[in-house]
Amino acid sequence: MTPQDITKLIVRTSMKDRAAFDLLYRQTSAKLFGVCLRVLNDRTEAEEALQEVFVKIWTKADRFAVSDLSPISWLVAVARNHSIDRIRQRRRPAADLDEALDVADPTPGPEALAVAGGERERIYSCLEELDEDKAAAVRGAYISGESYADLAERYKVPLNTMRTWLRRSLLKLRECLER
Amino acid sequence: MNGTEDSERGLGGDDAVAAEYVLGALDSDERAAAARRVDADAAFAQLVDRWEVTLAPMASAYGSVEPPASVKQAIDRRLFASTAARTVEKAGIWSSLAFWRGLTVAAFAALALYIAVPLLSPPPPAAPAERLVASLAPQQSDVHYFVVYDARTKDIGLSHVTGARAPDRDFELWVIEKNQSPRSLGVIPVGSNVHLAVSQEIQDKIASGAIFAITMEPKGGSATGAPTGPVVASGDLRDI
Repeated sequence: MTPQDITKLIVRTSMKDRAAFDLLYRQTSAKLFGVCLRVLNDRTEAEEALQEVFVKIWTKADRFAVSDLSPISWLVAVARNHSIDRIRQRRRPAADLDEALDVADPTPGPEALAVAGGERERIYSCLEELDEDKAAAVRGAYISGESYADLAERYKVPLNTMRTWLRRSLLKLRECLER
Repeated sequence: MNGTEDSERGLGGDDAVAAEYVLGALDSDERAAAARRVDADAAFAQLVDRWEVTLAPMASAYGSVEPPASVKQAIDRRLFASTAARTVEKAGIWSSLAFWRGLTVAAFAALALYIAVPLLSPPPPAAPAERLVASLAPQQSDVHYFVVYDARTKDIGLSHVTGARAPDRDFELWVIEKNQSPRSLGVIPVGSNVHLAVSQEIQDKIASGAIFAITMEPKGGSATGAPTGPVVASGDLRDI
């Protein structure tokens, strides 16, 4: 499956083509489940989240048309945002840390699901230009959905300091990427 | 662009909120507020999309994990439990409001993609080129119509998406062929789903790739036979 193939499946899904939706699920559900698991850190909850994510994809596939994201990045954004919404709505410790460690290790997905190597290297080299703590905080927020409050506690700084850190870091990151 | 945005050394204003929303660090209430703005405020939605694009490469950190089969079964139950209603496509498709509403959204999305993604291959052969769609997108207005042209029935269906006409004005539909003066298809009747008949001359223009435009005209339409008001929406036809 190429990115163009995934684009076609999303378009056909937006036109309520069930066969396209089924194929889209087959092609992308493992990647999106990986996202849900990583953020939610709980298998049962991640399974529920994945259901909700695909219900959203079915009902909101037309939104893809107005996004500049690549098709897989758009799908990941739906899954990631939904999982972060869920984690914000609960405040209990993660159930199963071992399981989290299992999924923390990235396995390269099929070609269409992988971010282009160059882009990935570029963002990681830009992250390296940040202070180590700040880069880790950016990654913690983006990849695991950690909140300002979580991060402030972990790094033992006031919440507003963390907010300033991350805002500055994001600006630097963008400037680096646009160089 | 306002000057402060460029001169300040930190992220500020909406761009900062968009960045924090995409990063995922906002708390529950702030996130919910940002999500509502994405739905309601196109400029803010664009800032968010830009940050999504910027940060997306970090998602390479996510591995793939096969979900259990029960998940897809649950999705199908939630979405398609009452599939009986889906036979609507067979009977009276043109009179079905649900069809029109669905098509408006869905085909607009498809169209935007057909324009944006030239690599898309042609649609399946089951759909002959007798039926063409156009999304007449706003031009410095909020007027948006969706058009379906059916060559067999010589009919143009217009589905109103957004944008109201001024009290003493009408919308008029035009076909414009390259290097020729626009030809009127008439005033668009008020209503969410309306139809206009298509003359042979207009059919030929459509067949040769004319685009559609909507102008704001005096009540009853342009008196001169040529557009007199501003173009409020335009677009071209595509196969479906």
